[in-house]
Amino acid sequence: MSSAKMIQPDLDFVKEITAQGGGESLKKCFQCATCSVVCNLTHSDKPFPRKEMLWAQWGLKDRLMGDPDVWLCHQCSDCTAYCPRGAKPGEVLGAVRKMSIRANSWPGVLGGLVGSPAGLLPLFLLPVFIFGAIIMGLGRLDHLHGPIVYEKLMPIPAVDTVFILTALFACLSFFLGVTKFWKAMSDATGKTGAQGSVIPSIVETVKDIIAHKRFDKCDVAKGRASAHKFVFWGFAGLAVVTTVAIIYLYGFHWESPYDMKNPVKWLAFVSMLSLLYGIFSVIANRNANAEKAGKGGYFDWLFIYIIVGVALTGTLSWGIRLLDIAPLAYTIYFFHLVFIFCLFAYAPFSKMAHMVYRTTAMVFARHTGFDK
Amino acid sequence: MAGTGTILVVGGGISGLTVALEAAEVGNEVVIVERNPYLGGRVAQLNKYFPKLCPPACGLEINFQRIKKNSHISFYTLTQVESISGGPGNYEVTLKEQPRYVNERCTNCGACEDACDVEVSNDFNFGMNKRKAASRPFEMAFPMRYAIDKAVIGTPSQQKIQDACQYGAVDFTMQPRTVKLNVASIVWATGWKPYDASKIDNLGFGKVPNVITNMMMERLASPGGPTGGKIVRPSDGKEVGSIGFVQCAGSRDENHLAYCSYICCLASMKQVTYIREKNPESKATVFYIDLRSPGRYEKFYNKVKADANVSFVKGKVAKVEAGANGNVVLTVEDMIGGGLVKQEFEMVVLATGMEPNTATDKVPASVQYDENSFLLPGNIIPAGVAKKPVDVMSSGQVSTAAALKAIQQVLAAR
Repeated sequence: MSSAKMIQPDLDFVKEITAQGGGESLKKCFQCATCSVVCNLTHSDKPFPRKEMLWAQWGLKDRLMGDPDVWLCHQCSDCTAYCPRGAKPGEVLGAVRKMSIRANSWPGVLGGLVGSPAGLLPLFLLPVFIFGAIIMGLGRLDHLHGPIVYEKLMPIPAVDTVFILTALFACLSFFLGVTKFWKAMSDATGKTGAQGSVIPSIVETVKDIIAHKRFDKCDVAKGRASAHKFVFWGFAGLAVVTTVAIIYLYGFHWESPYDMKNPVKWLAFVSMLSLLYGIFSVIANRNANAEKAGKGGYFDWLFIYIIVGVALTGTLSWGIRLLDIAPLAYTIYFFHLVFIFCLFAYAPFSKMAHMVYRTTAMVFARHTGFDK
Repeated sequence: MAGTGTILVVGGGISGLTVALEAAEVGNEVVIVERNPYLGGRVAQLNKYFPKLCPPACGLEINFQRIKKNSHISFYTLTQVESISGGPGNYEVTLKEQPRYVNERCTNCGACEDACDVEVSNDFNFGMNKRKAASRPFEMAFPMRYAIDKAVIGTPSQQKIQDACQYGAVDFTMQPRTVKLNVASIVWATGWKPYDASKIDNLGFGKVPNVITNMMMERLASPGGPTGGKIVRPSDGKEVGSIGFVQCAGSRDENHLAYCSYICCLASMKQVTYIREKNPESKATVFYIDLRSPGRYEKFYNKVKADANVSFVKGKVAKVEAGANGNVVLTVEDMIGGGLVKQEFEMVVLATGMEPNTATDKVPASVQYDENSFLLPGNIIPAGVAKKPVDVMSSGQVSTAAALKAIQQVLAAR
């Protein structure tokens, strides 16, 4: 030690970790470092998650909030399975990630709402109110005669307006969050990055993510990596479908529903199956591994159920329309819009944000050589 | 033979012997029951005691002399308690004695061993070598008498052994027998077994060559052990020049033994001195989470630590892999030096803890155990490691206390 440093523990931070959502076991850690050794993702210079467990116990919030390792962890749970004290480092880091999302996301008040069960009802009612107001305001309930076409309930321009605004909001929030997070990492690690463009690091990182290179190194949570792949590719497919649909609509004025022979239809179908299979595998894996890996907290499950909601209402909107049960079809479609709104509008605050923050941490690590 | 007022001591290790002697030397009748063919228990397997580093043979020898001279003590070997009924002051106990096939005429000439062609795994040396099915349990065995394993029955060796003995000491007509005793007090001192290291799947035992346990190390270093006291590698017999000690191997670990066995830190420090004495060039590293060297043991720790060829590294070994040339590679996070470290050793010792025998062999009576299967005090009095993890010195204290409890039960019943 070259100089004495006063440590400023944030006890509320410790309480927040241990209060809810997977971090309850934090205080059981006795710093043996088994976790850092059994981890297949850690690096050798300052390995995780042993040091994160200590920082969390001591309430060193700033170090954790600027710690790329918190996000380089993919919660394989190998550490948790081998932990001699049941301290569940994987779960604790999950809880720390939740707080990292909240600390970085803007506006903070939404972060608080998404993170606590008390916020569930207002967050769900917001899109119900928005879409309800549009339907009532435009008097759409009177237009539902004849074959089921969802545009009768909700005009495309109205849907697009809502979701474009939502997307802009999410992008702005993510931009502010990522900027803040990057600065926190630079401050905490003292690394500002190599000279030159960050673009090559981003490209390589995205390649790694697409290949699930890190996730695939997990032992205990092997099943989680494949479940994640199904969800990931399901969403990727649906993103392509959405993009094509926008081009069809605004470029060629082709409106949905499309003909069964249209390949977009099939891509949508396969993507939806992948998403459904993936998300139910996630649930099955979590339940099967609960003893070894921990069962996760509210924050994890909220995100899982939002995806379940999106996938189920999406599939049913299609199926019930084919069965021609109009009132049910329109109701389900309404809730499909509600779930999609929840997915996108709350993305910067929910666990969905992991895709942005983990990517940012991976880019930071690659760009600065942090984990070499 | 035992009558009312007798104290039954179950287990003839250092704890049971202490209870028996403390009680008998103030005039109580004592019966010791031991399931092995010899008394002395785990201590008999040790090379040296810490911290004085004297051979256990010395302490055992004194106790065996005291037993020999004391007419109040009788003992059964190859015997286990089958059932217990009644209560303090008046227990009915049934013992089951297995045949030794050797009677008191044995002179330890060794002719039966020479004649025997059947070999069995040598459990006394933790299976590191084989022994003849007719053999003396160990060089200092008490009773000083051979024992013949059931494995020879029905083989050509049976007749050869019979013919080889000139003293009429071999007796294959011996049958298992049941003994009933009436006793006033029962002390349970059935001791411990080393935790099964193969259950710790990340530490390589049974998979990676040259990974042994601390109790195997005692036998390797012991003059009576499988190598005559040479500390060499099991895989190729090479003299060990570098050795790593993995502390808390399965200890303080809720996946294995949730508690600290108390002895393993000192045992490893002691074993460091074995190798440092035998090979002046040797290097030893002890990997630990925390070190326990309470009271006067601190001196011993300081002495071992002062050796320039000995390092202590804070961090738990959680990965053990085979290296080149039969070496063993350990991975650990050096929490003070910083960073993940891979270090290669010629041999590695897992400092495994003590699991009470009561975890698997329960007392055949209504008793209570703690969450780790140690026997809680009740009508039946626990002593030694049956009660809690202790070293030899503390077992003397725990066992003397148990003897006093037993004497009180005897007096209360009068």
